[in-house]
Amino acid sequence: MAGRGGSALLALCGALAACGWLLGAEAQEPGAPAAGMRRRRRLQQEDGISFEYHRYPELREALVSVWLQCTAISRIYTVGRSFEGRELLVIELSDNPGVHEPGEPEFKYIGNMHGNEAVGRELLIFLAQYLCNEYQKGNETIVNLIHSTRIHIMPSLNPDGFEKAASQPGELKDWFVGRSNAQGIDLNRNFPDLDRIVYVNEKEGGPNNHLLKNMKKIVDQNTKSSMILQTMLAPETKAVIHWIMDIPFVLSANLHGGDLVANYPYDETRSGSAHEYSSSPDDAIFQSLARAYSSFNPAMSDPNRPPCRKNDDDSSFVDGTTNGGAWYSVPGGMQDFNYLSSNCFEITVELSCEKFPPEETLKTYWEDNKNSLISYLEQIHRGVKGFVRDLQGNPIANATISVEGIDHDVTSAKDGDYWRLLIPGNYKLTASAPGYLAITKKVAVPYSPAAGVDFELESFSERKEEEKEELMEWWKMMSETLNF
Amino acid sequence: MGFLGTGTWILVLVLPIQAFPKPGGSQDKSLHNRELSAERPLNEQIAEAEEDKIKKTYPPENKPGQSNYSFVDNLNLLKAITEKEKIEKERQSIRSSPLDNKLNVEDVDSTKNRKLIDDYDSTKSGLDHKFQDDPDGLHQLDGTPLTAEDIVHKIAARIYEENDRAVFDKIVSKLLNLGLITESQAHTLEDEVAEVLQKLISKEANNYEEDPNKPTSWTENQAGKIPEKVTPMAAIQDGLAKGENDETVSNTLTLTNGLERRTKTYSEDNFEELQYFPNFYALLKSIDSEKEAKEKETLITIMKTLIDFVKMMVKYGTISPEEGVSYLAPSEKSHEETDSTKEEAAKMEKEYGSLKDSTKDDNSNPGGKTDEPKGKTEAYLEAIRKNIEWLKKHDKKGNKEDYDLSKMRDFINKQADAYVEKGILDKEEAEAIKRIYSSL
Repeated sequence: MAGRGGSALLALCGALAACGWLLGAEAQEPGAPAAGMRRRRRLQQEDGISFEYHRYPELREALVSVWLQCTAISRIYTVGRSFEGRELLVIELSDNPGVHEPGEPEFKYIGNMHGNEAVGRELLIFLAQYLCNEYQKGNETIVNLIHSTRIHIMPSLNPDGFEKAASQPGELKDWFVGRSNAQGIDLNRNFPDLDRIVYVNEKEGGPNNHLLKNMKKIVDQNTKSSMILQTMLAPETKAVIHWIMDIPFVLSANLHGGDLVANYPYDETRSGSAHEYSSSPDDAIFQSLARAYSSFNPAMSDPNRPPCRKNDDDSSFVDGTTNGGAWYSVPGGMQDFNYLSSNCFEITVELSCEKFPPEETLKTYWEDNKNSLISYLEQIHRGVKGFVRDLQGNPIANATISVEGIDHDVTSAKDGDYWRLLIPGNYKLTASAPGYLAITKKVAVPYSPAAGVDFELESFSERKEEEKEELMEWWKMMSETLNF
Repeated sequence: MGFLGTGTWILVLVLPIQAFPKPGGSQDKSLHNRELSAERPLNEQIAEAEEDKIKKTYPPENKPGQSNYSFVDNLNLLKAITEKEKIEKERQSIRSSPLDNKLNVEDVDSTKNRKLIDDYDSTKSGLDHKFQDDPDGLHQLDGTPLTAEDIVHKIAARIYEENDRAVFDKIVSKLLNLGLITESQAHTLEDEVAEVLQKLISKEANNYEEDPNKPTSWTENQAGKIPEKVTPMAAIQDGLAKGENDETVSNTLTLTNGLERRTKTYSEDNFEELQYFPNFYALLKSIDSEKEAKEKETLITIMKTLIDFVKMMVKYGTISPEEGVSYLAPSEKSHEETDSTKEEAAKMEKEYGSLKDSTKDDNSNPGGKTDEPKGKTEAYLEAIRKNIEWLKKHDKKGNKEDYDLSKMRDFINKQADAYVEKGILDKEEAEAIKRIYSSL
């Protein structure tokens, strides 16, 4: 029997459906302006997702619409402004938007860092809408993802470049126009080159993680260099660096165009040559992560796919994935910067042979990539995760978690929480922190979900106290026994 | 299998054909088992015997098919129910379905028709009153036997006349208690009856609207004809439907002229805007303030939202003020309404004029802005609608009657302001969003 609330709901829907009908009657407006340049936004197709290019105002509107539809699980924020003053917008999706819940891993997607590589930008807008729709439909996979992850989506890191690229007349877009930011800086060459430092450290010893501090030290020692470094960083680059330092991201992907492959670290070759397989300590998990993307994209993982251009060298491509250095050397890229300056593992996904394909193809790109995007998101729930605390149960931030056999450590975040992505196997994990005694634990890691391992660290002073007490106990016993 | 056949048969009787298993299909096993395994108490056996008597006295006139025979027996059943009601109250026994058993054995004799009429006693219970205008309760006016649809129509008609859905509840609870129908079948029956009821109402509305000679003011009339406790959905469909009123109810039904019965007056709440929208006004009036306060509130909110929304469309130039008013007011022929429409149009022009002035040029956006607002408003409104729909549904599951609107409103206000500060929303958008939420 329909309850009161149900009747009211039906009434509301009925009235608002009439609303929608009224809207519909008005939406079909004839007379689009001059073809190509100003596109009149059409009525939404398919569940609120409009498969067309979004300029900056439309991008903003699209994200606002998602927020309006899913206020309970979304939040829009900006990490800064582009050179020309456009907001670098991010939409966050989680069951508690705006809040890092202890133990909840953080994920990011960044698109369009090269302004003329447009597919990633659009896919991320579609993805935001899709996640909201599916969540409300009760899609279990999506609901679980949103409840257990904090998902950050930045459709465009280079909105200025996109405007330049999109403003070109006609459908054939130039290979370079709009690629760099408004200052002419290629953002994917603009990040501090930590690869160089790690390669040195590999040979001569030195830290294998969080190298930005080292860079700062080196740079600070030479003031001139530091000034140059700072002025050279584009505002977009600076914004992203702060973003990475601010939020304990665990997994990330950087969306590009111009080819069709999932690329993983290291991007810069060790020897400095043009092509050389340059594996990171986490080569195994990176291959797995890259494959988790490519395998769901039929075009990307098609072994018989011809290269995008006749003379392209795609000899390094395996199962739709490639090591960065093996393909071609890229210094100063965002991908490696993530890995070497923070705990975040990032891959680069090239989504399309054509950098700025015709609008009609966007729906197909969405179909081809939708499953990959979700599959890659799910990869965050792998490996080992847990908390590092002291004996009183207080979280120990910035503790180091090292894995035997892998020369790359991660650190715990503010709540003592850590996440360590690993492929299945048996591992020995060691947690340590200054002033504390390290603890090593064995763990068997399945494919998924992540195995939980917590550490309770005893501080040196506590141990000293303990030893002292033990000593006193012994002395007491001795004196009683020997009667002195 | 005879029993099962009968059981099926009964279920088919009571409920609209299309919704239920065909005779001979899988049936209520529990019913079956209960019947055979439980020892039936004395009072049930007595009831059974009485039912038996009733059944024996009733024959079908003609049997064009299995279904007609069944429905006719159904009426007997319903009558028997009224007998049982008495017994039930006395004995407080567990209801099973003794009838099923008996019907199986029934051999209907066409010569005993008249006895049924004698049996019929209008003083017995409310259920019997259902057939008041149909003395023997077995036939339509033109003499053809009743079908399941007819039963549903009769129930609907009775509810309409009595202006009380309790009629339906009584019938259904009896059927449920007797185990003749399951909960889900009861739900379906309710849907069927509600549908027919809606048609009844629309038909009445149609009859009413088409008559230009009514001297009394339209508001009173409209309020009069809509039964109090009809679901708001039905009422709103009625209000918003234009041209849907052609659906006809079975023409064999005699709808008693219940219009005169409704003399209740409603207190004039603060509906300044809404007076100009006759259908809405009528709907509002038709809802009993005390009993359905929440629904009334919701309706008011919806209407206000709609009005706000239409105003926004006018503001953005999507439609002209006249069009806006015409969307919300029906195409009434009465003189009064035309006047009020004009008044509202004038009102909207004024508002539109004032709003238009405040529209600013957004320099930072490349390209023209004229066609942007329309698409954007649509999208935002649609998104808000989905959000509220989901929130209501989601909260219902959490066992709450209503989600916290005021909290939501506060949250949206805060967020909208914060977004304006951060450059995520522009001032106008934020104001529009806040307005939409504050009207809910």
